[in-house]
Amino acid sequence: MVWTKWSYMDHWVTETPQGPQPPSFNRAYMDRYVKQLSALGFTGFDTFFFYLPLYAGMYGGVPGFERFLQDNGFDKITGIFSAYPSATKYTAPHVRETHDRIVADCTNTLRMCEALTGVENFIVMPTSTYYQTEPVTDDTIKVVADLWNRVGKLTLEHGMKTTCHFEFWGAIRTRAQLETFFEYTDPEYVHFFCDTAQHTIAGVDPVQLFRDYRDRCTGFHFKDTKNVDEHEAYRTPPDPELMAPQVTRWFYEMGEGGLVDFPGLMKEIVASGYDGWLTVEHDKAELGGGSYAEATAVAKWYIDNVLAGAQAAAEAELGVAR
Amino acid sequence: MNQQNIKWSYMDHWRSNGPSGPVDQWHSHKTMSAFLKQIKATGFDAIDTFDFRIWQMYGDYGGPAKYQEMVQDNGLERIVNTFHAADYDVRNYAPHIPATHEYILEDFRVTMGRWSEIQLDNIIVMPATLYYDMEPVTEDKLKYTAECWNKVGEITAGFGVKLTCHHEFFCGIQSEADIETFYSYTDPQYVSLFVDTAQHCIAGVDPVALYNRHAHRVSGFHFKDTRNVATGDDHRHRPDSEIMAPTTGKWFYEMGTDQGLVDFAAMMTAVRDNGYRGWISVEHDKANKEGGDYSESTAISRWYAKNVLEEIYR
Amino acid sequence: MRDTLRWAYALNQWNVRLDVFVRHEDQQRALKTVSACGFDTIELASGTGRWDNISRPEVILLNHGSHAGFLDFLRRASVQGVSSMFWDPQAPAEEEEGYAFRSTANPADADAIVEWSKPFVDFVAGVGAEQLVVRPVGSAWMTPPLDGDGIKRIGDVWNRIGELTSASGVGLALHYDCLGAVHTAEELTALLDATDPASVGLALDTAEFTVGGIDPVTYYREHADRVTHIHLKDTRYADTGDEYRMPGAESTMLKGGAGRRIERWFYELGTEGGLVDVRAFVAALREHEYSGWVVVESDHGGNPAELAMLNSWYLQHELGIPKS
Repeated sequence: MVWTKWSYMDHWVTETPQGPQPPSFNRAYMDRYVKQLSALGFTGFDTFFFYLPLYAGMYGGVPGFERFLQDNGFDKITGIFSAYPSATKYTAPHVRETHDRIVADCTNTLRMCEALTGVENFIVMPTSTYYQTEPVTDDTIKVVADLWNRVGKLTLEHGMKTTCHFEFWGAIRTRAQLETFFEYTDPEYVHFFCDTAQHTIAGVDPVQLFRDYRDRCTGFHFKDTKNVDEHEAYRTPPDPELMAPQVTRWFYEMGEGGLVDFPGLMKEIVASGYDGWLTVEHDKAELGGGSYAEATAVAKWYIDNVLAGAQAAAEAELGVAR
Repeated sequence: MNQQNIKWSYMDHWRSNGPSGPVDQWHSHKTMSAFLKQIKATGFDAIDTFDFRIWQMYGDYGGPAKYQEMVQDNGLERIVNTFHAADYDVRNYAPHIPATHEYILEDFRVTMGRWSEIQLDNIIVMPATLYYDMEPVTEDKLKYTAECWNKVGEITAGFGVKLTCHHEFFCGIQSEADIETFYSYTDPQYVSLFVDTAQHCIAGVDPVALYNRHAHRVSGFHFKDTRNVATGDDHRHRPDSEIMAPTTGKWFYEMGTDQGLVDFAAMMTAVRDNGYRGWISVEHDKANKEGGDYSESTAISRWYAKNVLEEIYR
Repeated sequence: MRDTLRWAYALNQWNVRLDVFVRHEDQQRALKTVSACGFDTIELASGTGRWDNISRPEVILLNHGSHAGFLDFLRRASVQGVSSMFWDPQAPAEEEEGYAFRSTANPADADAIVEWSKPFVDFVAGVGAEQLVVRPVGSAWMTPPLDGDGIKRIGDVWNRIGELTSASGVGLALHYDCLGAVHTAEELTALLDATDPASVGLALDTAEFTVGGIDPVTYYREHADRVTHIHLKDTRYADTGDEYRMPGAESTMLKGGAGRRIERWFYELGTEGGLVDVRAFVAALREHEYSGWVVVESDHGGNPAELAMLNSWYLQHELGIPKS
């Protein structure tokens, strides 16, 4: 059976009279964006916490925005992404004194999600940049784990799973660091969100990682990359995703000859029995002349034509029918 | 004030983004006006154009003279060169095939008549068909080609315009040896060389050395850069190697680009040492590929001309 | 630009959204573009976070080591210096200030805003710029109606910051914008009256004034002694329907999300149907021997390189200012 739970992570840039802008430029652009995703067949929508007030303004509340999605064939808003990429004196996951503030921020975000159909994932970057956090010791990871245990308990009370999305430039990036982090976090409260490109860049095999942490995995960002970080780009201040001297563009849509084995991952997902949402993400797709609209369409083609085949093959092999 | 030896002209390639997608400057009077203003603002003195634009000049502006008035209204001096982008066809229009020569000559008689209401410096041609239509490139073919352009040059000279050859990396005469043979058969009085820095580099020919060898008959330049030399059969792809070559998605960059292969400082030094006086044209071809932007490339190339090249020779 | 007036160009339109204009090579291209257009001085605009790489004093210093290092970076592109830096304390500085919303209209925020200004004052002085250009108050739709006391309180905050800028040898210029809670000519004059002329000036933005319903030429002539900074740009529209009071006016008005659905308000000099009498305005500057910077902006327009070139053309050919 066709996998119906594909969601789209809300990165998008479109041409406007004021230059290339996110569709939140105004309601008309936003409507067109949602219609494009709908036309391709996405049924879930993931977004950032900082867009919620904008969408609330345009659609008379976040539930109003979700109703607009539903009018266009979506099931619901599926995930909310929250992050502190830069450590500041107010917010830094590795600094225990800032945890109250972070918990308060998360509480505010949860409040904005009230009356929605059922957001499933509260996706977080577990740490700030590596260069601001290092040295990354066992204790550092323990402090970070304590924060997300706390947040995880809170979000679960609102029906959302706190799930950790690891950046290649974050303080928890190696296989060993990931293992320590998962050891220190409570499986009931803290989950794993597998971003295929980020792990690949960090030199960690995302398929193997999923295999090993399947029980804690609550979602994926399906995106590709053409480079493993071989030059310690992860330590580049202020932002390795944009400032790395050797690599100007890290992320690509599926099907463009990147390093991630998506059919392999799809087979692994089928074999594991995972039946949640799969999310497509395109980050900075416009670099080098790319277009978000085209990248999204091409990725969906890849899903419908390549991943569907991989899924069917895996199901046949396992004798399962979804 | 010092005598100015070099003036800068801008070759007609351009795209800007409009509500209906990317358009060139000939899209409307408004886009033309914005184009000319931008060229002038950054310090270019004139423009070059294509022969096929003459229809738009007649249709939209009332002919080349009227169009040139608009160019001048925006502060530019004039139209310096035109590029005769011929649609080569071995059946009826191929310089290496003598049977087609009369057709080519007639084309130039008509073309020069159309341009006669303004005074151009050069009419620029790609002197050979596409490589795959000419190969194997034999001495005879080079000779026939030279004979053709000698005759064309005589026609254009009658209009006070130089016939000058621009060697694309994918045309039939692009290797150093073939270029040398070709010029040995052409008459310097009627056939000039137009040095495109990037095209020669892509073809593996050093544009500075080429220029130094033929400086006495060089009548202009396209200053643009590239980051790649053609390899394998890059130069033999139908229909157009600039677009279809498998190794390289974008061949051309503005002067001063990172990893550019053209040694512009050496080029400008050679221009100075050969005592060249006149126009240098800047060309950006497909500058909007891979996220590029014509406006930005134009400003940056003029920045480079002013801050680097004019320090050598102006 | 070779002129008795001093011309600079604002980089704001290059930094058009969150994750662009971050790499140094992109910034060099913008600087060369501005330089090729005849401007050798730039205005910076403040921002926040890791991606605002040329917008936040700490981040600029992290990138270039020192003020001198940053100036060297500019000079690689033949840009000689910085005229000014724009800062809006009302904008939530998400990372550095913990997403706090502050307002000069709220007395409880005054101390924090004065504190926040310090890195900017130091930076402006450190790079040899002349003006810290500030948004004096937040948007009208987010601010309670201001009476005379309210305007006085706002003036007091800027007087305190004016003392800091004066002590550092730089100017402080209040930049009126068409969404601000200080909206009418009378309110703006009251704000100027509430500030110390010795340390606080006015940044007059020709398009913002026009959109907001204040004639820039008339206002300049009447207050030339207080005008210490200029932003020069054009507009095709005035806010004739009090759209600035709409909730979310930054989007509902300035991005065409509601009201008249005008999706672009600000235009290059010489635009068709432009409402600003640029010639008369520049003539007025000359009459009054204006000595500050005139900063040309491509703000909220389209392609920044294209707009910079069109603005340069206008200065050269309509105002007759030689480029070099």
